[in-house]
Order: sequence, then C-alpha cells, then structure tokens
Amino acid sequence: MNQASPITTREAGFTPSYSPGSSKAFLSENMRGRIGGGLESLGYTLAGMALLLAVWWLGGRMVAASDDLYAFADFAPAPTLVRLTDMIRTGEAFQITVPSLYRIASGLFWAITIGVPVGILVGAIAGFRKLTNVPFQFLRMISPLSWMPIAVMAFATWEGAIVFLIAVAAIWPVLFSTASGLRRIEPSWFKVARNLGARPWHMLFVIILPAISQDILSGIRLALGVAWIILVPAEYLGVTSGLGYAINDARDTLEYDRLAATVVIIGVIGFSLDSLLQLAIAKLSWLRSS
Amino acid sequence: MTDGAHIQTIGVSHTYKGGGTQALGQIDLEICPGEAVALVGRSGCGKSTLLHILSGLSLPTQGKVLIDGTRITEPSPSRIMMFQAPSLYPWMSVEQNVGLGLRFNGKMREAGKRIPEVLELVELGDYAKRNVQDLSGGQQQRVALARSLALKPDVLLLDEPLSALDAFTRHALQRDIRKICKELGITLVLVTHDINEAVMMADRALVMKADPGDIEAEITIPISGDRLPSMAAFGEARRELVAAYEAAAGMAMAEAQSFIPQDSLNTPAPIDRLAAN
Repeated sequence: MNQASPITTREAGFTPSYSPGSSKAFLSENMRGRIGGGLESLGYTLAGMALLLAVWWLGGRMVAASDDLYAFADFAPAPTLVRLTDMIRTGEAFQITVPSLYRIASGLFWAITIGVPVGILVGAIAGFRKLTNVPFQFLRMISPLSWMPIAVMAFATWEGAIVFLIAVAAIWPVLFSTASGLRRIEPSWFKVARNLGARPWHMLFVIILPAISQDILSGIRLALGVAWIILVPAEYLGVTSGLGYAINDARDTLEYDRLAATVVIIGVIGFSLDSLLQLAIAKLSWLRSS
Repeated sequence: MTDGAHIQTIGVSHTYKGGGTQALGQIDLEICPGEAVALVGRSGCGKSTLLHILSGLSLPTQGKVLIDGTRITEPSPSRIMMFQAPSLYPWMSVEQNVGLGLRFNGKMREAGKRIPEVLELVELGDYAKRNVQDLSGGQQQRVALARSLALKPDVLLLDEPLSALDAFTRHALQRDIRKICKELGITLVLVTHDINEAVMMADRALVMKADPGDIEAEITIPISGDRLPSMAAFGEARRELVAAYEAAAGMAMAEAQSFIPQDSLNTPAPIDRLAAN
C-alpha cells in the first residue's frame, strides 16, 4: 500500500529557514539602515534647534533695536544663556526646580492613584461607565485653574492647593486612557485565565494591569504635559519657591534674563520628563511592530 | 499520567438570555475516561455551546453535567479548553504562558520541572525564553496546548483550535494532540467542522443537528495506531461520517455548491485574472 509518510514536526515548519551567511548580511544591512536613520533624525533635531535659536536671536535683535522695547533686550539668547550658566553654577536652578518637581510628582501620584482604579471600573463595568460618563465629561471640561479659589479655601496650605490643581488637571488623561485600554483587552484572555483557575486578584495584577500598561503610561505622559502647563500659574499662588514663583519674582524685579533662563529650564525639564516617559513606554511596550 | 474523566450530561438544554433561540435541546451523552470524542455539525448546531457547558464556562439552562459523578458549576483547571485563537499573553515569554495555570493554582514549585517537560512534549523545548509574538500560528497553538497540559487536566476541550492553521501544521497537531492525550490518558472532546479532523482525532464522532441543537448520530472510528487519510479504514469512517453529516444537515455535500453563485465558479480567482492581463 502506498501510504504517505506522516508529517514530522520539522516538516511542519519548526526549523528556522535562514542560513548564517544571509543572516549576517541582513544584520549589517539592518544596522547600516539604523545608523543612517539615527543620523538623519539627529540632523533634523539639530536643524530644528538651530532654527529656534535663530528666531529667538532675531527677535532679541529686533527688541534691542526698538526704542520702546529696549528694556526687554535681556530676553535675547546671549544674556539668557549667560544667566542660565550662572544659575546652574550657583545652584539656583536646582533650588527653584526641586519644589516644582516635588509638586508635580505629588499631583501625578494622586492622579494615578485615583485615575487608574476609577478608569478600570469605568472600562470594566458598563453601568458605572454610563453613570459617570456625563459627570466626568462635564468635570473634564472645566479648566483646572478655575478651581483655584476653591482650592485656596479648601486646603490649609498653599502647597496642598497647588498639588490639588495639578491632580485635577492630570487625572482625566490617566482615567480615560485606562478605561479605553481596558475596553480593548482581548475578551478571550479573561476566558482563558478563568479556565486556568485565575482568582480576581490574578485577573487584576497578572492580566489586566500588564495588558493596559501601555495605555496607562500614555495617559501619564499626557497628564504630565497638562500638569507641567498648570504648574507655572499654580505656583503664582502664595508659595515662595518653584519655577512659577521664580518667573513671577523675576518679572517683579525686572530681571528678564533670569526670567528667560527660568523659561529655558522649564522647557528643558519638561522635554526631559516627556522623553523619559517615552523611553519607559517603549521599554515596557509588549506590542511588536511588524 | 491522569486517569481521564468520565463525562455525563443529563437533559442538558440551553437557551440564550433574553428569550433568544434555544441553542441546545435535551442532550444526554456519556464519554468514557480517556476517550476522544468529536462534536461535528454545521454552524449554529450548538457544538461550541455544549463544549462551553462541559468546561463550566457556561451553565445549562436545564439539566446537569457530571464529571466523575460530581455536578459541575464552574470552570476548573482539571478541564481545560483550547480556543480557535491561541489566546496567549503577548507580554509573556513561552515559559511564562505555559506556567500561568500553575501560578494561578499555587503550584509554582512544580513549574521548574513541569514547564520543560510539557514544552518537550509539544516539541518546543528550545523556545522557552522566546516571546510568544515571535512564534508562528502553529507554534502558538502548541504553546497553548503546553499551557493546557501543564496542569495535568483530566479533560481537554478543543473549540476548533486548528482551523486557522495551514494543512501541514494542522495535520501534525491533530496527530500530536491525539497521541499526547492517549499517552496521558486525557479525555478529549473536540468541536470541528472538518470531517477529516474528526476522523483523524476521535474514537467516536457525535453528529449534531440544529434548531434546537441535538445529537443526531453517533459514529465510532475504530482505527488503532497512527491515522492517515490514505488508509482504507480512514476513508470508510470518513464516508460514514459524511453520510451522517448530510443526513443531519438535510442536504448533500454537492448541494452546498448551490450556495455559491455559478458565475463565481467560472470566474478566475483575482490572481489568475492579474496573470491573464
């Protein structure tokens, strides 16, 4: 009897089909492509920064040349960078940054502590989602700064009021990203986990949180952007420390180079924090790009 | 090696919530420990519903399911179901996926020995540290199989897990799953549309009809050892199953062609049309 031989596992496609030579060639080509892409990206970044600096310098020249605006000439790049170097050397930059970072961290802490669990409830329970949809959308649309008078009355310290304002601004991106991540979880992951004997805490910590980790981090990234924007006006409130206070103080004392240097510090720190979060998202991302 | 489990359903019927269609009529069936049974039938005949009820993931509207004489009311790690999609967790490696059931059931002490053992069984011993996203569809289903076997289940329930795979991989997995279940004494219940798959894997096929879902015929497939479509006994069992399938569906296989517009049968496939141009 002419019987076909059974298909072996190897025949069914379990042996890698590349040869070492071709893989080496592919790798070097791949590496060349990566280096080329990296250099191109760096080129664009440097060109963009040079363009920004050129616009700033041009603006400074125009201000210096104007009889009406001459008093603001210290906003130009040269005096600003001199003052910035000075602020770094004397430790002033560090001194004004630390309280702001502490407030940002505290505000984000509360936004995450409240936003993630509530977001999970919104994503998981249809009834809760329907119940909270309108109130949450309503509250989300209120400018965080409009809570300022209430925050001042409600909190015993200025510090508490500022952290509250940052948390109020940062909570919505975290909450909505978490909820939308949860709704996109593959339903079969729950079914399989249940079948394998998962308890509710396994579902939360082993399935749900890793599955939505990228959504939570993206929400935190958005929240950080909003919080960083809110920080400066919030620090105009009563406090005598922080980047917002430093800007206000520099304006009052007419130290425009110090004011501009503080703005540069705000930009650099904001950009660095955002880059760090982007890096964390890329590191923790489990989704493979095809 | 497990002893397999004895499965019995008594008057099991199921109607979906909201007074929808009655998915299952009154199902009475018995499956012996270590037996491999295929549920075969057209779409909508209640095969998957019955499988979900046997797993405990769904509860019947009426009737009861007894496993080794005990009524089931919830899913259990001793009855593992494999789905059409492997449903692996993409943020985990192969070994983390395989060890998940052990982790959920507080048996991580066994993981060090058990995970390599089941990975060898499904011929993925070298893939333990890989991310599951780097594997092919067939390899992913093998990981899902290893995950199911890690808990030493008494019953393995397959809801068409091989239907999305290419013919070669499907054939290899059909043969391997049957072999593993026989070696380990696991009771196997599989749902399939594919008559060849039923003959390849089952000792007995239950042909179901729709409206409401019920068992219409029972075909035994007494082929010992490795099964190949070229075997005479395979062809005989296949013919018998086709006849029962046609009787349950109320139409002949050839009649199914009438659902496809005649025009489309004569129109070349897009790739041919491109080649013609």
